[in-house]
This record gives sequence, structure tokens and C-alpha cells, in this order.
Amino acid sequence: MVAGTSKAYKITKNRLQLLLMASLGFLFLIVFAYIPMFGIVLAFKQGDGYLNILDAMVNSPWAGLDNFRAFLTDRDFLNVMRNTIGLNLLQLAINFPAPIIFALLINEIRAKGFRRRVQTVANFPHFLSWVIFGGIILMLLNMDTGVVNAALIRLGFVDEAVNFGEARYFWGTIIITSLMKGIGWGSLIYVAAISGIDPTLYEAAEIDGANRFQKMRHITIPSIAGTITLFFILSVSNLLSNGFEHIWVFQNQINLSRSEVIDTYVYKHGIIGLRYSYTTAVGLFKSIVAFILLLSGHYTSKRLTGRGVF
Amino acid sequence: MNRMGKMKREVGFTGRKHRNNWFDYLNYTLMILMVIITIYPLVYVLAGSFNEGIDYVRGGIYFFPRVFTTDNYVVVLNDPRLWRGYFITVSRTVIGTTSALLFTSMVAYAMSRKDLFFRRFFYWVSIFTMFFGGGLIPFFLVINMIGLYNTFWVYIIPGLYSVFNMLVFISFFRTIPEDLHEAAIMDGASEFKIYRMIILPLSKPVLSIIGLWIAVGHWNAFLDAMIFTVDENLQTLQYYLMKVVRESTMPAEGVPLPPEILNTISPETVTLAAIIVSVIPVMIFYPFIHRLATQGVVIGSLKG
Repeated sequence: MVAGTSKAYKITKNRLQLLLMASLGFLFLIVFAYIPMFGIVLAFKQGDGYLNILDAMVNSPWAGLDNFRAFLTDRDFLNVMRNTIGLNLLQLAINFPAPIIFALLINEIRAKGFRRRVQTVANFPHFLSWVIFGGIILMLLNMDTGVVNAALIRLGFVDEAVNFGEARYFWGTIIITSLMKGIGWGSLIYVAAISGIDPTLYEAAEIDGANRFQKMRHITIPSIAGTITLFFILSVSNLLSNGFEHIWVFQNQINLSRSEVIDTYVYKHGIIGLRYSYTTAVGLFKSIVAFILLLSGHYTSKRLTGRGVF
Repeated sequence: MNRMGKMKREVGFTGRKHRNNWFDYLNYTLMILMVIITIYPLVYVLAGSFNEGIDYVRGGIYFFPRVFTTDNYVVVLNDPRLWRGYFITVSRTVIGTTSALLFTSMVAYAMSRKDLFFRRFFYWVSIFTMFFGGGLIPFFLVINMIGLYNTFWVYIIPGLYSVFNMLVFISFFRTIPEDLHEAAIMDGASEFKIYRMIILPLSKPVLSIIGLWIAVGHWNAFLDAMIFTVDENLQTLQYYLMKVVRESTMPAEGVPLPPEILNTISPETVTLAAIIVSVIPVMIFYPFIHRLATQGVVIGSLKG
């Protein structure tokens, strides 16, 4: 009897300890995720210039949808949206399929040692920061000393050095540097998925006389379609976020017309310009569109392929 | 079994040795090109960093230094801002990774227990934050409100916990036999003790992989330094480099050096040397990082 009570007591005590541990995580989310979420109320207020979030949330006057209206009619609005969405669509069209193609090519290499070495080298840039990688690229693209201009002139593509800092080269620079930094690492997940495919499928196909392209098309690609769909939906929901650090390193005063995106716009007007309410509204606009895109991507894919994100 | 299958595929099921055709040659060429494109920029930077500054500006340094010098490195290594940046970055990586691993795994342990009170509530509260957030500005105001702005702890505390990593921990903890827990309870162990004495030691593989993700993030981050600090003493290595690269701040400005060095360097070559100095740690650890990270991809994808 005595033993029984003490055991029950012990179990309750342990459950309370668990509760305490989980509560610490909960507390963290309250502070760093939910208070900011309630901070969204700022988007509907005139809280520009306040420093204390509670003060701004409670004491600033209501502004209705003024902040949203201000963003939609801002002279930079069209530009910022075009850059944000344009860059992302390009990324989706080029940088999304590239790692898949790279994974398929890697998979066709039979020499295991060579294959491993290529992967080791190709993954390296992923571990460099955008500052370092971007810094190196900027050096390569330099007008006077860069090797890219020298090569272009030598090969006769251009007559005189190109200034890659100009606005019209910005999107191209972003896409190509994204590829260079991310293609190897991005392919790993697909290589892993491919190596999980049942080898008897390939054997059966070989008996039927399938060549490597037929095997690729009818076995490899369908087998990794689930992974592809998942990452595609996640990329779509990021349609309004560009990698801030990536953009920031390549942005300069003369390419702003092509390089200002929502994230950099919010940073400049919010953190530097102290327009907290206005930029909260811009951020909320972004979150809502992203949320809608994620959900619609999820349900469309569920209907079409039976697979979703969650 | 899997390896057997792959070997079979290599020779072809019918046992014939595979002969290379045009596709293989094209493929190998592409791969070699890829390797060159990845490695060459580093060669370029290395060559420039060892070239005399004034001479470099004339252009044409693509593979080897023309006028060899180590002055650029002398300048960079004498810059106290670089060392301070290194110090801050190493500190935040070590402290930030250790504390985040302990905190996140502890919460994950509690969340993985079926007998946790309000388990479903905690779970959904966590999941929701993965899909919706307040955005940068409200987050910035919170950082201000709780007094983290412009302190070293702004690098550590907001990174203590991650729902994604918590879920990865949970899926690993599920593989630990329940008997161990029961036996420990029988012995009268508290949950803290079970976490510390049983769960943590058994979780080394997942701890090292998640630790790597966190550490790489810490090492490369500059956004938080840019947004949440103003004090030069708090700037990270990457933020210092960002200023050098993006704003063409002359690296090592105001560093007392003999005129024969100062008169021959150029911002470009000093920047190149600064890049090399900050890439070196990544290169040294890369073989280890790469092996761990490749294993991690499988764990990360299991979760998704």
C-alpha cells in the first residue's frame, strides 16, 4: 500500500517535471513567435517611431488599413513586387530543377570514387557564407581586374569591359550565383532519394531492354516525384522571400531598380527608417500571401498527386 | 543488400561490362567543368591575395601572383577588427550551438513523452509557428523590449530553440527503447536525470548532425549582427567582411603599419587576403563537416 502511493506520487512528480521542460519551449515560443504575431496589430496602427512594442501596440492610435494602402500606392511598390516575384519565378524555373538534373547526372556516373569527389567539391560553396562567396564573385566580375571581363574580351563576346554592377545584370548574377552555390548541396536530397529506389526495378527494366534514358524517365523520376513535389510546394510558398543575405551582398546604389525586394525594403524602411507600423503591414502582406500559396500548393498537389506537405 | 543491387547495376544485370558511350563522355565533361568552376574562384582569390596591391590593380592576375608579397596578410592580420570578429564568431558558434542543442533536445525529450500533460496543445502551438510568423519588425521590437538589442546574447538566446530541430529530435528519440525509461523510473530517477544520463548519451549521432546545422548557421550569419547590434565590438567576422566587400570599407583602416607596406597595398588585395583568412577554418574542417552533413541529409529528409 505504502509502496503503491509512493509510486503514483513518483509518476506524478515525473509528469510535472516533463511539463516544466516542455513549458520552457512553450515560453520561448510565446516570446519569440507569439508576441511578434500579436505584434501584427501594429500593421493596423500608427506606431511608427515607437521603440517599445507593448507601448506601440496599446497606446498608438488605430490606422485601419492605411498602412496597406500606403504600401500599395507607394511609388516603389510595383518595382519591389516585380523584383521579388520575378526573381523567385526565375529561381523556380531554373534553380529548382537544376539540382534534380544534377542528381540524375551524378547518378549516371559509374566510377564511385570520381562521383564522391565531384560531390565533395560541388557541396563546398554551400558551407561558405554569402558574404564570402559573394565577395569572391564580385572580385571575379570586377571591371578592371576581374577574370570574367578579361575572358569575355579575349573571346570576343564584348569589346570593352562590362560593369556587372549595373541593374540589368542583377537578376542574372543572382540566378547564376545561386546555381553555383546551391546546385551540389541541393542535389544531395535527390541523390539520397534515388539511392533508396529498389534496384530490382532497374533489373526488370533491363531485361525488358530499357536503355538508360528510359530507365531514368520511367523509374528514377517517378520514384523521386514525391520528394520533388514536396520541395516544389515549399519553394512556391517562399515566392515572396528572397534570400536577404544573398541579395544584400550584390545590391548597390546603381542596381536598386532591379535589386530592391520586399525583404530589403522592409529592412530599410523599418529598421533604418523606423517606420514600424508601415513595414509590419508590408511584412504581414508577405506572410499572408505566402501562407495562401503554401495552402493552395498543398491542396492542389493533394488533389493531383495525392501528396501534400503535411 | 542495397550495395549488392548497386554493384549489379554497375556491371549491368546481364553481366556485360558497361561500355562508355557519348552520354558518359558528355556527363564526365560536365562534371569536370563543374569542379573547375567551383575550385577556380578560390585559386583566383589566392593568387590575388599574394600579389602586390598597386600591381594588382593593373589587372591580369588570374592564376599566379605576378609580384609576390605577403603584405596583404600582414595588414589583415594586424587589423584588430578582424580578430575581434573572429573572437565574437567563435564564441557565438561555441556557446550558441551548445546551448541550443541542450535546450532544444530537452524540450524535445519532454514533447516525445506520451505522458506529458497538454501534449497535443504544445505540439500544435509549435507546429503553427512553422507556417506563420509576425515578420521582421515585430520580432525586432521584441528583441528591443526584452533588452537583447546590442548585446552579445542576441546571437544566442533567439537561437536556443527551433521547432524544426525539435521535431527531428523527437523522431530520433522514438527509436530509443521504452524499456530504458521504465527501468530508470523503477530506480526512482527523475525525468531530468533520465534526460541527462540516458537520452543525451544515446543521442550522439543526432546531436552531432543538428549541432553541425546550428554551428554552420552561427558561423555564417551576419544579418543578426547587422540588424540587432550597433556596437563595433559586437560585430561578427562575417559582418566585418560584409562591410569590407559591400561598402568598400578599406580593410585595416587606421592600423598602424610601416609606410613601405601602406604605400603598396590596395583595398582589393587586402580584401582578398581577408576572404582567404576567413575561409581557412571552413576548409580545415570541411572533410569532417562534409561527412557529417551528408549523413544529416537523410535524417532531415526522413522528417519531411
